[in-house]
Amino acid sequence: MRLWRAVVALAVVLWPLGAVAQGTISDLPRKETLIVENPEGTIKNAGWFNIWAINAGSQSNGLQQLGMDTFWYIDPQKGVDGVWDNSLAAEKPIYNADFTEMTVKLRKGIFWSDGVEFTADDVLYTIQTHMKTNGLRWSAPVQINVAEVSAPDPQTVVFKLKKPNSRFHALFTVRWNAMWMMPKHVFEKVPDITKFDNNPPVTLGAYTLKSFDPNGKWYIWQKRDDWKRTTVARFGEPGPKYVAYIDPGPPDKRVIAQMNHELDIIHDTSPEGMFKLAKDSPSSHGWFKGFPYAHPDPTLPAVLLNAENPMFQNRDVRWALALLIDIKAVSLASYRGAATISAIAIPPTGAGPEYYHEPLEAWLKAFELDTGKQKIKPYDPTIGKQIADMLRPSLKDQIPTDAADIAKAFGRGWWKPNPQAATELLQRAGYTKKGDKWYMPDGKPFTIHVTVEGDLRPVMTRAGSMVAQQWRQFGIDASTVVAQGSMFDRRQAGDYEAMISWSVETWGGHPDLAYFLDSWHSQFVAPPGKPQPARNWQRWSNPELDKIIEDTRKIGFDDPKGVELGRDYVKLMVREMPIIPLMSYNVFTVMDETYWTGYPNAATAPYTDPVPNWGNTKYMMVKLKPKQ
Amino acid sequence: MRSFLALLKSNRQFASGVVLLALVAGFACLSFFSPYPPNDSFVVPPDLPPSPEYWFGTTSRGQELFWLLTFAIRNTLVFGIVVAVLSRLLALLIGLVAGYAGGWVDRLLMSINDTFIVIPLFPILVLFYFVLKDHMSWGLLALMMAFLGWSYDARLIRSVALSLRHREFTETGIFSGMSTRQILVEEHLPYVLPIVFSTTMNNINWSIGLEVTLSVLGFTDINTPTIGVMIYWANQHTALVAGIWWWIFFPVLLVVMTFIGLFLLAVSMNEYIDPRSRLGRSER
Amino acid sequence: MTGYPLYLLTRLGQFALVIFIGINIAFVVTHATPIDPVEQSIAASTQFGSINPEAVEMMRQSLKELYGLQGGLWDQYVTFWRRIAAGDFGPSLSAFPTPVSILIGRALPWTVALLVISTLLTWVLGNLLGGLAGYYRRNRALRFAGILAMAFHPIPYYIVAFLLLIVFGYLWPILPISGGYTMNMEQDWSAEFILSLLRHGLLPVASLALVGLGGWFMGMRSLVSNVVTEDYVAYAELAGVERSRILRSYVMRNALVPQVTGLAISLGSIFNGAIITEQVFGYPGVGTLLISAVHAGDYSLVLGITTVSIIAVSFAVLLIDLAYPLLDPRVKAR
Repeated sequence: MRLWRAVVALAVVLWPLGAVAQGTISDLPRKETLIVENPEGTIKNAGWFNIWAINAGSQSNGLQQLGMDTFWYIDPQKGVDGVWDNSLAAEKPIYNADFTEMTVKLRKGIFWSDGVEFTADDVLYTIQTHMKTNGLRWSAPVQINVAEVSAPDPQTVVFKLKKPNSRFHALFTVRWNAMWMMPKHVFEKVPDITKFDNNPPVTLGAYTLKSFDPNGKWYIWQKRDDWKRTTVARFGEPGPKYVAYIDPGPPDKRVIAQMNHELDIIHDTSPEGMFKLAKDSPSSHGWFKGFPYAHPDPTLPAVLLNAENPMFQNRDVRWALALLIDIKAVSLASYRGAATISAIAIPPTGAGPEYYHEPLEAWLKAFELDTGKQKIKPYDPTIGKQIADMLRPSLKDQIPTDAADIAKAFGRGWWKPNPQAATELLQRAGYTKKGDKWYMPDGKPFTIHVTVEGDLRPVMTRAGSMVAQQWRQFGIDASTVVAQGSMFDRRQAGDYEAMISWSVETWGGHPDLAYFLDSWHSQFVAPPGKPQPARNWQRWSNPELDKIIEDTRKIGFDDPKGVELGRDYVKLMVREMPIIPLMSYNVFTVMDETYWTGYPNAATAPYTDPVPNWGNTKYMMVKLKPKQ
Repeated sequence: MRSFLALLKSNRQFASGVVLLALVAGFACLSFFSPYPPNDSFVVPPDLPPSPEYWFGTTSRGQELFWLLTFAIRNTLVFGIVVAVLSRLLALLIGLVAGYAGGWVDRLLMSINDTFIVIPLFPILVLFYFVLKDHMSWGLLALMMAFLGWSYDARLIRSVALSLRHREFTETGIFSGMSTRQILVEEHLPYVLPIVFSTTMNNINWSIGLEVTLSVLGFTDINTPTIGVMIYWANQHTALVAGIWWWIFFPVLLVVMTFIGLFLLAVSMNEYIDPRSRLGRSER
Repeated sequence: MTGYPLYLLTRLGQFALVIFIGINIAFVVTHATPIDPVEQSIAASTQFGSINPEAVEMMRQSLKELYGLQGGLWDQYVTFWRRIAAGDFGPSLSAFPTPVSILIGRALPWTVALLVISTLLTWVLGNLLGGLAGYYRRNRALRFAGILAMAFHPIPYYIVAFLLLIVFGYLWPILPISGGYTMNMEQDWSAEFILSLLRHGLLPVASLALVGLGGWFMGMRSLVSNVVTEDYVAYAELAGVERSRILRSYVMRNALVPQVTGLAISLGSIFNGAIITEQVFGYPGVGTLLISAVHAGDYSLVLGITTVSIIAVSFAVLLIDLAYPLLDPRVKAR
């Protein structure tokens, strides 16, 4: 039959296409190259490297991790040499007594990649440009804060502030990112900075751009010959000669790519993808050696309850909803148990447990809730252990047995489900149950839409589905709503009832809470219908909270009193329950040791977080060594 | 009814089509007897392969695939049928009238028709999703797709009607005083029915496919189980890579069965409707 | 003026009208999106960093100014048409200030190459097999090919694509699973680059063909079975005309007419990109651009892509209509 002959002929023609091996990367030795996932995916505007223009191009394509630098870094974990690192600055920020002036001493001997020395002139240029140009990424915070900037000598910069600000240095302190320094000698020649693509970028980091895909699928960076003249040189030579940031596609493809050893660091994948790698790829490992593998980011996914919605304005209702959640089931449904739970509104990661979770444990155990009919102690300190026990039969020795290890991996306690107390609280709030359905005081059915982000945050979507299911089983008409792609808008607009999202984010390594808490002051709560600025998405305000925030503003960043105020905040949050904290944002960052070793991990090398879109990744580069 | 039985006996294609569709429809009806509400998760142990206890296995969300699938296929079938029937009616009406009437009626109708052809469907559906937000349900999606999915086939029908217009029997019909409606229904309809049948099948396939695409990308209501929503959840749990193949296999199997059933039905019906085709067949 | 010239003129008028209405609908729908590009930009740039709430309001104002979004809908509508007249779509709002036309221009060649090749391949194969299967009803191999095409056709495309990826990228890893060409390679049309293009394009084309084949196959098969019963075919058979010649000159030729319409529309509509193909295989193209533009509320970019698509499809439809009277002489130009 002729048809078959044609098929065979086609196969013969196509065969060489598959047989001729072509490497993943052309012309670069794979052994000298680190391949990393850029979670931004395909970059629409690939050739844009002006990071100071808002949202015009990619940030975590290596640009901010390998090319940028600024005064200070705070590590979300332990840090290479302590949590705080003076990067471009030679020492910590120096404030005057009333926090209206900040002085920065700069390091000597740091050079741009084109051989020009970095000096106070670059800083002055960066600040003054932001003062006179609108619409740059940091224009607004600079214009609001800075009255005047000057450089008494090439290694000193003095900021005069418009009003006291004890946290002004946060603008230049990298958590995920911070305000990066501009090369004056490049930018001063540009007529309109907002329209300048900065391609190729002149960098302060230890790498320069080698090549990139015009369609935004990959970027390759090359180690500078003069890497010794950059700030990371204090910790040694960066290991990889080349670093490729790529878009590896959806979670399942990232797993396949790592199994094929074509992707050294996965930024994040699904729990199931992680388990698959743990089982079938011996060279792959996560932050924790065994379960739950993932790195807990200093971010706190929670059930946000829109305080502007009348149905959540009663504290009893909010507490009732919390008591209806079985966190064990949420942990299983979302992370398949690989979650680090937290009952309090502080992410259970980095310095969090040391400063907040541990010291407050006794207070939590003693905490009493009065339902009107009975007094209960809602806190169950054993839930972390229960989750570990529940997983041990199937995962055996992957599950730690030591109480401290369990607390670190799975978290401590949470609220014990108590439908009886929830019923009493709801009834006190005027809610009634008819048949098996709950009704609000105005007689309408008690309906809650839980907004989730869908495909873009699969694990959070699953958590939301579980929470809704638990409320539904109690007789509340709860369902999820997928706000795929419109999550930001709806969160800002307050266009939601309940939402799985986070309004608490901390430094991680440092106990200061002003990072997010300052924005929770009632002065920033937007009226209904107006967009709410970050991060008080729940639009909740409280005079006690305002007092805590105001007191924090008056003290320095490292003042021990800050931790006391932070604990007051935690207690207030427990009493009022404006958001229901669930767990830390666990990121399944998986590292493959086929070509590289020395990645960070929880047990033996907690020197930084492994999540590769953070600016702190630059410290990982100096620890990586080629596999022999 | 008698002819149905006769067909069932004499035509193997027809018989197997009917059997396949009956199986799928019967399976869909089982959803009314499901022991679990379709949206509840973690009611059975997760990730179990097919076994005598769980015929189709269980999902990573702890749902029994068998019962979940009964809901999914039911919703998907209803969805496909609603889209197909509504859009067929529109396509037939507009195609036949335009082809027969000609002149400015034809030009007007075809301008409307062409506008629908040229508007890119996908961005429109996604944008509708954003505009409707929480009100997006599969019922609305079905209506929208019916409204957007008729134009191509209307054009096809119109082109056939156009060529029929110049056939002798049309002229004869006009001379013998038949009304437009009569000519369209009695003379032209039988000619275009085979096209209608084969496009129905294509249309159902198209609407199910588009529903799956939208679901995979997360642009549908994930609280209503459909085949697309099942694939969405399987995808969220990276089922194919994690080795939970049954979560994908059984939904796909049912879709394929539905489609082949429809195909066999359409083919055999065409032969039945078009008598010349039946005669011609015997020679070969 | 009568006959074909008149037909041409009215048809051209209709063409312009359809494009005008189509673009207007697209304008209304894209601007109805509740996603605000300014808020998206703010969210994207404040979601990880520490930022003062006062600063956000300031940022909002300057972005509105920068993006030129301060006027009402009518002003934007006028600006839009003024730009279209100049052959421009203005700057993208999610990659400001890069022009929409540059973004589309970078992605379009990939989409066009991938979809023209796979559409043509699928069309030719599908019609050939379908035509043969409609004519030679008893042939075993054709029946088998038919069953295969039919079985693949209804499987959701996403699944087919992903299975191909798992088979050839993981179980038997001989083909690349991501991108349009090898990383760090110059796009210089060297033999190496072309080989890389072919290797990367193979799975996407194969997946599209596998799923698309069935549609053309069935369509052609039923068309041919209709034509076969026409009198002129019967006469030809009685007159002893060679079988293969009947198939070629009498049957296929006539049955192909509606299929050509289908092909033209398929080719016209490729400008939306193949979203799932691009997502599964990490292939460059307009689809990914479109989805990310929708997510970012970048209506300039969405509108740019839809406008290109509307013009392309209208043009395809126009060509078909103009060619129709020439292809099928029974249709009088009117």
